[in-house]
Amino acid sequence: MEIKALLKALWRSRTGPVLIAVQIAIALAVLVNIAYVVAGRIEVYRRPTGIDIDNIFWVMSQGFGKDYDQASAVRSDLAYLNGLPGVIAAAASLSLPQTFSGYGLPFSTTPGVQPARVGGRIMLMTDRGLDALGLHLIAGRAPHADATTAPPDPMSAIGRWAPEVAVTQLLATKLFPKGDALGKTIYTGLINKAAKIVGIVERMQAAPAGGPAADFTESVVFVPGMPPGPTALYLVRTQPGRRAEAMAQVEKSLADRVPGRFIARMQTLTETASETRSGLKSSSIILGVVALLVLAVTAIGIFGLAAFNVTTRTRQIGTRRAIGARRRHILRYFLIENWLVSTAGVLVGCVLALGLGAELSVMFQLPRLPLYYLAFGVVVLWLIGLGATLYPARRAASVAPAIATRTV
Amino acid sequence: MTRFMLLHDLRLALRSMRHTPVLTALTAGAIACGIAAAMIALTLYHARSGNPIWWKSDQLFAVTLDNRGPPGPQDQFQRHPEYPPFLVTYRDAKALSQSNIPTRSVMMYRSVGIIEPGKPGLKPFSASIRMTTADFFQMFDVPFLFGSGWTRSADDGPDPVIVLGRQLNDKLFAGANSVGKLVTLHGRQFRVVGVIDNWMPVPKFYDLPLNSFGVPEDLYMPFGWTTALQMPNAGIVSCVTPTAKVGSFNELLTQDCVWLEYWVEMPRVAQRQRFQTFVDNYVRDQKQYGRFVRPLNNRIVNVSTWLAMNDVIGEESRLQVALAGLFLAVCILNTLGLMLAKFLSGAPVTGLRRALGASRRDIVRQHLTEVVVVGIFGGLCGLLLSSLGLWAIRTLTYNSAFDNSAERLALAQALSHMDVTMLLLAALVSVVAGVLAGIYPAWRIGRMQPALFLKSQ
Repeated sequence: MEIKALLKALWRSRTGPVLIAVQIAIALAVLVNIAYVVAGRIEVYRRPTGIDIDNIFWVMSQGFGKDYDQASAVRSDLAYLNGLPGVIAAAASLSLPQTFSGYGLPFSTTPGVQPARVGGRIMLMTDRGLDALGLHLIAGRAPHADATTAPPDPMSAIGRWAPEVAVTQLLATKLFPKGDALGKTIYTGLINKAAKIVGIVERMQAAPAGGPAADFTESVVFVPGMPPGPTALYLVRTQPGRRAEAMAQVEKSLADRVPGRFIARMQTLTETASETRSGLKSSSIILGVVALLVLAVTAIGIFGLAAFNVTTRTRQIGTRRAIGARRRHILRYFLIENWLVSTAGVLVGCVLALGLGAELSVMFQLPRLPLYYLAFGVVVLWLIGLGATLYPARRAASVAPAIATRTV
Repeated sequence: MTRFMLLHDLRLALRSMRHTPVLTALTAGAIACGIAAAMIALTLYHARSGNPIWWKSDQLFAVTLDNRGPPGPQDQFQRHPEYPPFLVTYRDAKALSQSNIPTRSVMMYRSVGIIEPGKPGLKPFSASIRMTTADFFQMFDVPFLFGSGWTRSADDGPDPVIVLGRQLNDKLFAGANSVGKLVTLHGRQFRVVGVIDNWMPVPKFYDLPLNSFGVPEDLYMPFGWTTALQMPNAGIVSCVTPTAKVGSFNELLTQDCVWLEYWVEMPRVAQRQRFQTFVDNYVRDQKQYGRFVRPLNNRIVNVSTWLAMNDVIGEESRLQVALAGLFLAVCILNTLGLMLAKFLSGAPVTGLRRALGASRRDIVRQHLTEVVVVGIFGGLCGLLLSSLGLWAIRTLTYNSAFDNSAERLALAQALSHMDVTMLLLAALVSVVAGVLAGIYPAWRIGRMQPALFLKSQ
C-alpha cells in the first residue's frame, strides 16, 4: 500500500529520479567494466614468473677496445662471479628476462615446413643459466654446450644452435600433448635446426603478459651457448639477503678484470621487473581513479536529490508525523524511494554494462564479462545509494510534527 | 539596458550561489571532475594521434611489399593479415633504390654502437644510431643546429661522416659547434658534418611499429657502413617465408627477412602512379625466382594512412576517451539534477519576482546566467584538475630508467602538454556542459505558474 503511494509520488516529480537512475546506470556500466579490466591487469601483474626475481641482479659489460675478446672475457667473468661469496650461480645470457625484448622462433615436432607451428621464446645462456634464474627443473637435466668461442652477432649466436635444449612445461605440452616430451627431438622453423629436449622447466615467464600473449611469453626454449660480443649480460643469483653485498663487490672490481670494456649497467631484477610492469600499474591506477570519481559524483547526485526532496516535503512529512507516522516510517519511506530509483538504474545499467563489456572484450581480446562482476556492481551501487540517502532521510525523520501547523 | 540587466542577473546569480554554498560547490565540483577527465583523455589522445609532419603528410610514403610466404595459420596471429610486412628486405630495398622516380628516397634502420670519447672523466658508452641514406634529413625536414647532412655519394663510399643529435653533441662537445671534429665509434674515427637541433616527432612515424613513442637516435651514420662494419640491427627482424633463415649477418642481407624501413618523397601525383607501377613490375619480375608467392599487394601509403595502419593510437587511448565521455555525461546529468533541485527550492522567490512583473524570459535568463557562472567556475577548476592529473600521469607513467632523464622529460612533455587548441576545446566543453546541464532546469522554472509558488508550500 505504501509502495503504491510512493510510486505515485515518484511519478509526480519524475525528472529528478529519472536523472539519478540514468546516472546510476552509467556508473554501473563504467564501474563493472573498469573492475573487470583492472582485475585482468592485476592478474598479469601478480602472475608467477618461475624466476627467483628477488635474489637476482644483472650486470652488463660492454667491450669496445681492439684487444677485447668476448669468449675469454665471459669465461673469466663467469669464473669470478661464480666464485663470489653469497653467489649461487651466474650465467651470461643473450636477453634479459622480464623485459619485452627478446628472440622468438617457431617450433614443430617434425622437420620441414609445418602447418601447425608453436612459437617459443629463446633464452640463450651459458651452462648455469637455469640455476642463475632459480628455475625449477621438473624432469631431466640442464642442457649443456661447449662454448669456447663467441659468435659475432645475435643472428650467428642463434644460428649456432646447440643439439640439446630444455623447454618449459607449457611448450612441452603444446608440442607433445601426451606428456612424453623428454628425450624427443624438436625442429625450428626459420633456421632449420633440430635439438633434443633434455630437460623440462616447470615455468618461466619471459615477459609479463596475460591472455593469448602469456601463452607465448611462457613458452620458452633454453638453448645453451655463448652470447655474442661485444656486449655481455650476466645474470647473477645470490643467497637470500646477500644480493646487495654481491652487487657492491661486483661494482667495485668487475670492470677492471678485463681490458677494453666498461660496465654499462647494473640493476636488480626486482627493479627491472617492476619497471616493465609500470605501465600496467599506472593505467590501472588511472582507471581506478576514474571509477572512484564516477561513484563519488553519483553519490553526490543521489545525496543532492534526496536532500532536495526532504526540503520541499518538510510540511508533508510534518503532516504525516502529526497523523501518527513514526520516525522509522519516514526514514523507511525515503530509503525505499531511493532503493526503487537505484534498482531501476541498475537494471538499465546491467544492459549497458554488458554492451560495453562486449565492446571491450573485442578490443582487448578478453573473455566475456563474467556475471558476478555485474552482481558486485549492483551491490556496490545499492550500498552507495543507501549511504547517500541516509543523512537526508534521517533529517527528514527528525522533522517535528508541529511543523505541519506552520506555514513556510 | 542589456548591460544593466546582465549585471543584475550576475548579481542575482552570485547571491543565489552564496545562499546555497554547499550545493553550488557540489555542482561546480561535478562539472570540474567531468571536464578534467574529458580533458585528460583528449589531451593524451591528441598527443598520440597527432601527425608530426602534417605539412608533408601526403608527399611522404612508406613502401611495403608483400613478400610473405603462402597464406597459412600463422596469418591469424596478425592483427591485420591483409597488410604486407611493414619492413622490407635488404635486397628489395636495394632494388627499389634503383628507381629515380621519387624525388627522394631513404632506407634505414636502428642500430647501436660504442662511442669512445677519449676525454678524461668520460667513459665509453653505447649510443643509438640511425643507419640511413642521405635523403633522410631533407625528406623529414630535420632542423640543423650546425652544418648539414651528408651527400648521396657519402652513402656509397662509405665516407666516415656522422650527424649528431643535439643531446649527444651536448655530452661530447658541451654544445659547441662540432662540425669538422672527430668522434671515435667502433674504434674508427668519424667526422661530424652536422648537429641536429631539438627534434622530437611524436609519434615517431618513421620508426613504427616498434618505437612509436621513442626518442630519435643519438647519431646518424651513412647506410653504406651497414655492410662495411656489420652494424647490428636493434629493431625487428622478421623472416616472412617458411624457408628463410638467418644464422649470420650475411644471411640477414640475402634471406627473405624484413628489417629495413623504406620511405619515398613524391610531391607529384604522376610520380606516385609511375612508382606504384615500377614497384609492381619489380615484384612481378621477382616472382620468376619463386619469391612473392602471394597476389600483388604492394602498399605505398602516406603518413596518415601509415599511422592508422600501425594502430599508433591504440585501444587504451580509445578506451580512455570513451570512459571520459561517459564520465562527463554522468557529471552533466548530475549537474542537471542538482540545478533543477536548487531552482525549484528557490521557486517561491521566483514566483514573487514573476508576480512583481518579471517576464518568463527574464526568469529563464536569470537562471541561465547562474548556470553559466557555475559552469565557468567549474570549468576553471576542471582545467586546474586536469593539469594536476596530467602531471600525475607523467610522473606515474614515464619513469622507466632505461631512458635518461632529459630525454624522458622531453617525451613526457610532448605527450602531455596542453596546447592552445586544447585550451579552447576545454573552454568550449565547459560552456557546452554548463548549458546542457542548465537549459532544462532554467526552462522548467520559467514555465512554472507564479501563483503556485505564491501559495504556501
